[in-house]
Amino acid sequence: MKPNSLALRLFLTAAAWVLSIMPVAGYIIYARYHHEMVTAFDARISLFLAVVINDAEQGSEEGPTEPDYWGEGLFVQVHSGWYWQMKPLDGKPAEIMQSRSLAGDYLPLPSENDVEPNEKEVRWANLPGPAEQAVRVAEMIYQFGTGKSAQRYSVAVAGRLSEVEDNLAAFRSQLIQALALAGVGLLAATLFQVRFGLFPLTRMERALAAIRSGEASRLEGQLPSEVRPLQQELNALLKSNQEIVERARTHVGNLAHALKTPLAVLLNEASGDDSPLARKVIEQADTMTAQVSLYLDRARMAARIGVIGSVTEVGPVTESLVRALGRLYRDKDLSYTVDCPPGARFKGERQDLEEMLGNLLDNASKWAHSSVSVAVSALPPANGDAAAGGWLHIHVDDDGPGLTADQRAEPIARGRRLDETKPGSGLGHSIVADLAYCYSGKFELDRSETGGLSARLTLPLAV
Amino acid sequence: MRVLIVEDDRDLNRQLVSALSDAGYAVDSAFDGEEGHFLGDTEPYDVVILDTGLPKMDGIRVLEQWRRADRNMPVIILTARDRWSDKVAGMDAGADDYVAKPFHMQELLARVRAQVRRASGHARSDIECGPLRLDTKTARVTLNGQPIKLTSHEYRLLAYLMHHNERVVSRSELVEHLYEQDFDRDSNTIEVFIGRLRKKIPPDMIKTIRGLGYRLSIDET
Repeated sequence: MKPNSLALRLFLTAAAWVLSIMPVAGYIIYARYHHEMVTAFDARISLFLAVVINDAEQGSEEGPTEPDYWGEGLFVQVHSGWYWQMKPLDGKPAEIMQSRSLAGDYLPLPSENDVEPNEKEVRWANLPGPAEQAVRVAEMIYQFGTGKSAQRYSVAVAGRLSEVEDNLAAFRSQLIQALALAGVGLLAATLFQVRFGLFPLTRMERALAAIRSGEASRLEGQLPSEVRPLQQELNALLKSNQEIVERARTHVGNLAHALKTPLAVLLNEASGDDSPLARKVIEQADTMTAQVSLYLDRARMAARIGVIGSVTEVGPVTESLVRALGRLYRDKDLSYTVDCPPGARFKGERQDLEEMLGNLLDNASKWAHSSVSVAVSALPPANGDAAAGGWLHIHVDDDGPGLTADQRAEPIARGRRLDETKPGSGLGHSIVADLAYCYSGKFELDRSETGGLSARLTLPLAV
Repeated sequence: MRVLIVEDDRDLNRQLVSALSDAGYAVDSAFDGEEGHFLGDTEPYDVVILDTGLPKMDGIRVLEQWRRADRNMPVIILTARDRWSDKVAGMDAGADDYVAKPFHMQELLARVRAQVRRASGHARSDIECGPLRLDTKTARVTLNGQPIKLTSHEYRLLAYLMHHNERVVSRSELVEHLYEQDFDRDSNTIEVFIGRLRKKIPPDMIKTIRGLGYRLSIDET
């Protein structure tokens, strides 16, 4: 997760909530359980107290009798933590009766520790008991017998406090474990939720990258309803952007084309004259012509980004170009051979393929003695890996004079004509090279089998 | 040789008319597609220079309509649109050649000559007929290597006959191909010019075929 990301924000808020709610929940649960435990413990002691008193009262009206041995052996086992004790008050010299578990030790009493009785006349206190065990003691002042023989006793029952505390400690550790597990689980779930919930955004990011790299022209895919308005807006923005670019491109084109007629007029007007002014006009008009072509090409080239999604059949383009050139070079009576596998498709714009092939075929026709051949071959992607993309090889060969190895090796610079004697803009090869480069293709010149020029184009194949 | 220029830019139209007239062609001009289409449809032209971006009717449509009506004169498209897609569209519509603006007039004239020659079945730029030799590039005629002086009308007449040598050319054909549309078409003028030509070249070369017209041929007798 990156800093300053939505995912991190969502995760941190969830984590903060989980981390703060867990101790609170833990505290509430623990407090409740503690209360229940203590209440149950007290109820048990109260019950024992009631039983001890009841047992002691069974004897006579003279006084209490020692209670029977009852109760789970707790009160028999020495220092079990569970005790009862009956201590005569009012200064009567009776002996203190106590459970065997006390083994003669004295059970400290709440009344001796200034504890006030509650509404049921019972005093409660946690006191240090025998054998250094903390005990909870319930004490009641009870009168046995009636009349003169009436005797008041302090009847006390004690329970081992550690019994409650051990239980609470065990509960506490279990509670902490459970809550920690729940917390970790919740955080993991949050993480997953954030990832899963924000996954459409990741997908959108990829789709946007595809748009930027020209693989897509709009944001496609079923996105969740929350981002759909964004998707729609983005697509509308992309569309309007494309329209603006398209309009700008058209304007540049129109401007450039509109300039050509006045340029033609200037050129013609001046060429009828041999004055220095006329020569200057011709020179400048020629420069302007070159500039117009240059920027027209640039505008076309720039507008190319974002339209790479198109696909063009090579066969029909080649045929129509060959037909047009056959007419243009009718006098030379050239024979054209086209060898193109059916269904060979170029991954790019039709106009660009026409421009490249048109220039190459025009050059070839200009120089050929008798024949021009076009050979197209499609090289599908290796290992059937569609992402790698295949290549289209287009060879345009002529049987003309060709070029020397040195000339072929020379970089194909814009506006440079390899031979100035043949008419033409001289831009042919460099436009082809520029366009091929635009499509990450290749353009090379070689010697053809008949000794002429072989122009070799490598372009992306549409699978 | 009669040429039609369809170009909406007044200056360029004027320049084309003047350059082609100077080169010895009878030139008609139109400034929009409809007018151009009408002229091309009704008059016999040896070459048409057709702009594509025309008012009223697009040049490509004009061309298509001519071709559909079997008007097969050579057409040179003149256009600012020089992409191959535009060229292919023009050629597919039936154009014979394609000249991109801005152009040098000399180049256009060369293309016009090439179309005229091609239409009359001559492959080279100079046409020979016995001792006569027509250099279409310079618009000069030589007789036994000696240049002969010709007025522009005489030149047009002789050039037309030489392009169509060994073929009977009727008077009306001559009138149609040698004069602009608004020229006073009195076929008697043809007779006058034939008479003048016969004084400058071996007189027997131009034969009068009664009721049919004239034929330029090498005198074998």
